[in-house]
Amino acid sequence: MDIKQAIEQANQKAAEILTKGRPVWVDVQPAGEAIPGMTPDTILIAGPPIAAEDIPLPVKNAICGALLYEQRAKTAEEAWQLVTSGQVRVEAAQDHDAACGAAMATSASMPVCVVEDKTYGGRGFCGVHPGNKQNVLRWGFYNDEVQDDLVWFRDHYGPALGETVRRMGGIDLIQVMGKTAGMGDENHNRQPAASMYMALQMIQAMMDMDFPHRDEIVKQFAANDRFFLHVMMAGAESVLASAKKVPHSTVMVAMGGNGVRFGIRLAGTGKRWFTVDAPLIEGLFLKPTYTKNDLLGFLGDSCVTEVYGLGGMSASAGPGYVVLTGSTFADSLQRAADARKVCVAEHRFAPIPWDGGQGFPVGVDARKVVGLNILPTSHGGGTLKAGGQGTMGSAKLPMDCFKQGLVAINEIMTSEAND
Amino acid sequence: MELYTVLQKDTYIDSLASLFTMSVLMDCEGIESAYAGMATASGRQTLEELGLADETVRGAGENDFVVAVRAASREAFEAAMAKAQKGGPAPAAQKPAFGTVQDAVRANPRANICSIAVPGEYACEVTKQALELGLHCIVFSSNVPLWQEREMKELAREKGLLCMGPDCGVANINGAAFVLSSINNRGPFGICGASGCGIQHVAAFLHEAGSGVSQTIGTGGNDLKEPVGGISMLMGIDALENDPDTQYLVLISRKPADSVLQALAGRIRLCKKPVVACFMGADRAVVEASGALWAGDLDGCAQQALSLIGKRIDFDSEEALDALARSAIEGMAPQQKYVRGIYCGGTYCDEVMQTMQEAIGGIHSNCPLLPGLRLADSRASVGNTVIDSGEEEFTRGRPHPTLEPSMRLPLIEKEAQDPQTAVILLDFILTPPEHIDPAGVTLRVLTKAMEDARARGGKLAVVCSVLGTDADLQNVTLQRQKLRDAGVYVCRSNRQAGQLAARIIQLKKERDEA
Amino acid sequence: MMNTDKIQALFGSQLVAVNIGPRLFGEALEKQHVEVVQVDWRPVAGGDKQMQELLAALGI
Repeated sequence: MDIKQAIEQANQKAAEILTKGRPVWVDVQPAGEAIPGMTPDTILIAGPPIAAEDIPLPVKNAICGALLYEQRAKTAEEAWQLVTSGQVRVEAAQDHDAACGAAMATSASMPVCVVEDKTYGGRGFCGVHPGNKQNVLRWGFYNDEVQDDLVWFRDHYGPALGETVRRMGGIDLIQVMGKTAGMGDENHNRQPAASMYMALQMIQAMMDMDFPHRDEIVKQFAANDRFFLHVMMAGAESVLASAKKVPHSTVMVAMGGNGVRFGIRLAGTGKRWFTVDAPLIEGLFLKPTYTKNDLLGFLGDSCVTEVYGLGGMSASAGPGYVVLTGSTFADSLQRAADARKVCVAEHRFAPIPWDGGQGFPVGVDARKVVGLNILPTSHGGGTLKAGGQGTMGSAKLPMDCFKQGLVAINEIMTSEAND
Repeated sequence: MELYTVLQKDTYIDSLASLFTMSVLMDCEGIESAYAGMATASGRQTLEELGLADETVRGAGENDFVVAVRAASREAFEAAMAKAQKGGPAPAAQKPAFGTVQDAVRANPRANICSIAVPGEYACEVTKQALELGLHCIVFSSNVPLWQEREMKELAREKGLLCMGPDCGVANINGAAFVLSSINNRGPFGICGASGCGIQHVAAFLHEAGSGVSQTIGTGGNDLKEPVGGISMLMGIDALENDPDTQYLVLISRKPADSVLQALAGRIRLCKKPVVACFMGADRAVVEASGALWAGDLDGCAQQALSLIGKRIDFDSEEALDALARSAIEGMAPQQKYVRGIYCGGTYCDEVMQTMQEAIGGIHSNCPLLPGLRLADSRASVGNTVIDSGEEEFTRGRPHPTLEPSMRLPLIEKEAQDPQTAVILLDFILTPPEHIDPAGVTLRVLTKAMEDARARGGKLAVVCSVLGTDADLQNVTLQRQKLRDAGVYVCRSNRQAGQLAARIIQLKKERDEA
Repeated sequence: MMNTDKIQALFGSQLVAVNIGPRLFGEALEKQHVEVVQVDWRPVAGGDKQMQELLAALGI
């Protein structure tokens, strides 16, 4: 079989996994118990792997915060010492089928949503969404209030959610998005419809259960219109876990930024990341006093939703977000149209009424990105250098990542052909 | 002069549309130089070379459209931009497009033919993709190496598909006029030719005579050269012979390579339908031995074809032309001596020089028939001159004059102001894409030129022919009438325009010497 | 002489034309009531020669 055919077949396989995978939220468990390869000495962060000395301030704060929360150190300096000495390993979450939103650092005792792909058996993980406040590890802050919240999540909030979804026999995320099709969610930066629909189901179950602090937990859960995001990130990872195992495929299976470098992984090139200097996420500044100089480069793994065909890939599903961040309805259609040109498949579970009933394009083929010279868009929130969210908006995926990926896949294919 | 630039991020404007924009900008008041196009590596390089690059341009990406203008003032720049933007549709209003031919065919499985106009270096690859998808191809792209042309055509032959071109501007399939073809009535004549202008010329006469074409198959100008071997013409003959709607075949080309002529003659001999062959400059004996009816030039070819259905074209007789020429020289000033031709069509340019040189000697040109007659400067005419304004020195940054006739106007104005000019000689070629009124656009300048000549105490003769049909969107009859009403001599054909122009020069000379 | 079945089939069919390149040529066909599918052609990989070679091997 020639190289083109091999790639074509592999991409078809990847397309099949991406569209037939069935992510179901099954549990909430401590990261150290749920995530393969995770130990008490592992901290997971967003984006491609990064050397300790290059880690930007908000992520460093989150890492130190996580280690303090885990009582591995008494001070932030001591905590950082554990990282620089190599005693604690900081790893890319996506290399563990997990995802970290923005500056988040995930440590072993933190509760994570566990999503299982019922078709292919993959499992994906992501911390429980902390709610809409800025004072959280996710945005690079750690203090006593954050510490209390983390303990609350670990001891009460997380276990209660886990108990609920277990009792419900799992929550089918495809069904959630199918039910909320046409409600304006693009499922990365906007998911109120999905969050509410899920809450409708879960609150009924919660009210039938008896666990400590139930009213407080229900209230906190119901107040978070972004809750669905982290469940969906875990959902994307559960399906991508299987896509990552398709050799020879040029389909993108991971993407994220660590604030300094932005990177992607292709299915056919194993654990190699192809990275470039992280682009900025531009759009709407959350305060008029912010400028570009205040922004870190692309930070976070929430764009695994784009890898799974949501967010900027299917921007026309959520034109409200696109308009809010300074672009137009036509731009939202264009983003989806561009994505369709470079994708290998389409999700059919949530047709977009005002985009000709088309579905979400999924499975970015690096060959098409480079060949057609069309860059898909990721939505996202930009992090400030000092921590906190600075923007909401979007970024074009950098071309050079895809070019590097093609060079690598070509090396693999030609060396296999010569064997 | 100040440099002004505009960047439209993530906006795709095709090369021809960019040329139209650029052309409008350059013609505006207070504009020294202008560029419009995609900010590809080569686009950015061109901008640097033209001295039109600034930080905006340098920061532009492959997917951005840039306009750069050196203008006398911001007002001049803004006025020019407003004018340029009036033409094209807003990108958002454009119909949706595909990125690749594969995607286009996947979404439209009924697609059966493909018109390709991409830069020559990419034409082979794109055409092969289209052929692989089962599409018959018309390839307008030029500057394709002959080995690639052979590769494309061999693939087409293997698949049993038509590969018209590269360098094919004329094809009329099932009555649809592609690229630069005229719109023709359907009829019993199947034309296959390596000269687009030649095909169109003959087809227009068939149309005018109330007959028409079954199909016209352009092969591209290089098909009958040795390395390509006439693959497309031989396939075209097979196809037309098997086509029940075709009763007669008409073959048109400039001189074929000897080996190719042999192959064609062998094939014509086997053809079960009558064949008219117009292989200009080829060995008549070889052609006639194949059983084909011989035609030496395009008018003769149309005449031969019509003879098969018992019709004929009434070309103007020598006497009639003589009478026209006599009236034309009345009132000309003594210093008016020369013919100055400004042409759109390359084949027509050759034909008219060939026609005139028999009567008035060698014609100077930027593409002369003999090397010794080459103009030192394409914009400085010498004696009797005909220039091809479709050549690169005139079309850089401009659409082809057939599509955008106003680019010829300054050239016409300049010749008209030369007191030595006796005759302005022109061709008009109608095509579906543009221009919607070439005669009207040109008359603005011609009328003034004739008035100016009279004011100087002389008289300017304007001689032309118009190629097209009354089915064309412009309607050839209306275009001709418009020119005649303004006092232009509109001839039956380009060859006849050459005959009349030459006769005027001859008679004028005789009168001056008498 | 070759088999011209596919060409005869074209002559007997309604045209559906793919126009690759300037839209003007496709629009001219639409004026003649031909169904046109537009391809906004751009050079592969934005003209990057190294990538063009790679993609020739890997397909697109």
